Amino acid sequence: MKTTLIDSPVANVANIARALRAAGAELHVTRDAGEIANAPKLVLPGVGSFVAAMRWLTENKIDAAIHQAVNRGAALLGICVGHQLLFDRSHEMGTTLGLGLVRGEVRQYDGILPVPQIGWNRIAARAPLFDGVENGVFYFVNSYAAVDAPDEIARADYGGPFTAAVQHQRVFGVQFHPEKSSAAGLRVLRNYIGWT
Amino acid sequence: MDVIPSIDLLDGQAVRLLHGDFARVTAYGDPETVLDRIDVPRGSRLHVVDLEASRSGRPVETEIVRRLASRGLRIQAGGGIRSLADARTWIDAGAEKVVIGTVAADAPDVMRAIVDELGAERVIAAVDVRDGIVRVGGWEREATASLAQVLARVEEMGIGEVLITDISKDGAMRGPSFALYRSLRTAMRIIASGGVSTMSDVVSLSRIGSVGACVIGRALLDGRIRLAEARALVAAPNAIPERVIPCLDVRDGRVVKGVNFVDIRDAGDPVECAVRYESAGADELVILDISATDANRSTALDVVRHVSESLFIPLTVGGGVRTIEDFRALLRAGADRVAINTAAIRDPQLIADCAREFGVQAVVLSCDAKRAGDHFEAMVRGGRESSGVDAVDWCRRAEELGAGEILLTSVDRDGTNSGYDIELLRAVTSLVKIGVIASGGAGSVEHFRDAIEAGGARAVLAASLFHDRRLSIGDVKQFLASEGIPVR
Repeated sequence: MKTTLIDSPVANVANIARALRAAGAELHVTRDAGEIANAPKLVLPGVGSFVAAMRWLTENKIDAAIHQAVNRGAALLGICVGHQLLFDRSHEMGTTLGLGLVRGEVRQYDGILPVPQIGWNRIAARAPLFDGVENGVFYFVNSYAAVDAPDEIARADYGGPFTAAVQHQRVFGVQFHPEKSSAAGLRVLRNYIGWT
Repeated sequence: MDVIPSIDLLDGQAVRLLHGDFARVTAYGDPETVLDRIDVPRGSRLHVVDLEASRSGRPVETEIVRRLASRGLRIQAGGGIRSLADARTWIDAGAEKVVIGTVAADAPDVMRAIVDELGAERVIAAVDVRDGIVRVGGWEREATASLAQVLARVEEMGIGEVLITDISKDGAMRGPSFALYRSLRTAMRIIASGGVSTMSDVVSLSRIGSVGACVIGRALLDGRIRLAEARALVAAPNAIPERVIPCLDVRDGRVVKGVNFVDIRDAGDPVECAVRYESAGADELVILDISATDANRSTALDVVRHVSESLFIPLTVGGGVRTIEDFRALLRAGADRVAINTAAIRDPQLIADCAREFGVQAVVLSCDAKRAGDHFEAMVRGGRESSGVDAVDWCRRAEELGAGEILLTSVDRDGTNSGYDIELLRAVTSLVKIGVIASGGAGSVEHFRDAIEAGGARAVLAASLFHDRRLSIGDVKQFLASEGIPVR
């Protein structure tokens, strides 16, 4: 099955495309709303600002296209800020509505550790998305995260617990960067690519 | 691991002595005011030393201990306890436990009598050590027994906790004696004391299995460590791995290696090296472009492009970055983070501009530091020229400007395999909150441990050691894990 990578300008599309291909994806990269609405399997990347990333989705009607695809039964994987966009809302620079595909809110870390989190962190995960991952350590770069999301499938701790991954039916999100997480990250991508 | 605040009492005041010298006193004021200021909560253990008693052998500060105990503090009192009567004085004043030093080392019969009378659970043995030798009498004389003998004796009496102070470290803020605590063979719970001066020291002690608690004095009083934060940090899951980072020095498209930044030799193809390191467990890769001329900078961009195509771990690239456009070009070529050195010293605003444009996570300050008398100087132009800027001040300034991490290289140690410069690392890591990558001098697995444990580094970098295959990344990570340091 073809995997469609949403070509957001607020994302590290090139790195994610390389990793998806290395994980075996037959990849199509596009920012065409029509193609996105009809895609069977989507990847929504994102780095930097939630507000800017969400604005690009709405201004280009990609948000509606994603909803259409998911309602049709397409699978979707959000990565980093792409993962945060799946939630109801984020409190980065005021409150901004997200796609509302998974329940919960995204907030800044308020623990004693320096923000942003930059580096590897161990997650506790039990879900098919993590099948075959021997060493649950992934690479994170983030200042914001969801906490105790109802659809949480992986959790990590950075001065307090946070949601490292979510799944609601065929919608997945990972707060870490699978494209920078070596074999473990590629395995997660491969599991998503092979998801039926 | 428990974190126990400590105050020393002299003439009714909370004080600290440097190296146990009564001529070098710092006074902090009324003990209760001091405890309020450092936020010691009810129910907390509190270590109290009566300095006058430790010198003269006569308990004098019992009234203060009574007041502190009535505030709900669980006090372990020590200083000059030479007899059962002395020990009783403290227990009667409300102390939960007594801390007994000189007698534990020099008078086993008296120690035995105290333990029999009060119960072993109310007695903490205290051993003060300088250069491996037990000191007694307010640190002023040598004990007759060796450290191993003292430990064996008190353990045999049923005592469960032993407070071990390295007095060459105490109050000097140079870090605790990690090596001493690691070397001790005892079933007793070790309370580490002396030299704990940074949050990183507390975390490092908590990773040593036999250390059950640590005592912190001056660092709490000076505000370098906050008690609640230290306790939260050691209670949290110890899951964030420390990183091992191989470095490729690249010139004209080839990996090279140098000793003290000169005498450069060819060491291979960058893509091959990068892929080999990732599969060996590297947590990140650093590429430093040391091309001699601008003409060769485009070659470096090609190297970054090729390497990033085959690499699925974070890639940091530095060398010759002068402008925000150089920075952008490297990110576009596939770097995740870019290290700036000489250009940032000339124009510190470059750090702020890049942080705003690309995010703090993308900005690494590369600082090449060289010893110059009693301080370190930041070097420029590949470590060849002095900038006249103090390296430690510069690192702190770079953090304020928006650097996300510091790659700190000791020019003196680079290529020598004689160990990282721990003093340099501590000077920087005790002042900045952002992570520091230790670089320059790695020669053995213990060096990597020391940079993290004593130096406070959050990542350790080496080049020639890995290129020459004298050590593998796996060797390093396996050793770190065996020493209680989390790795991926």
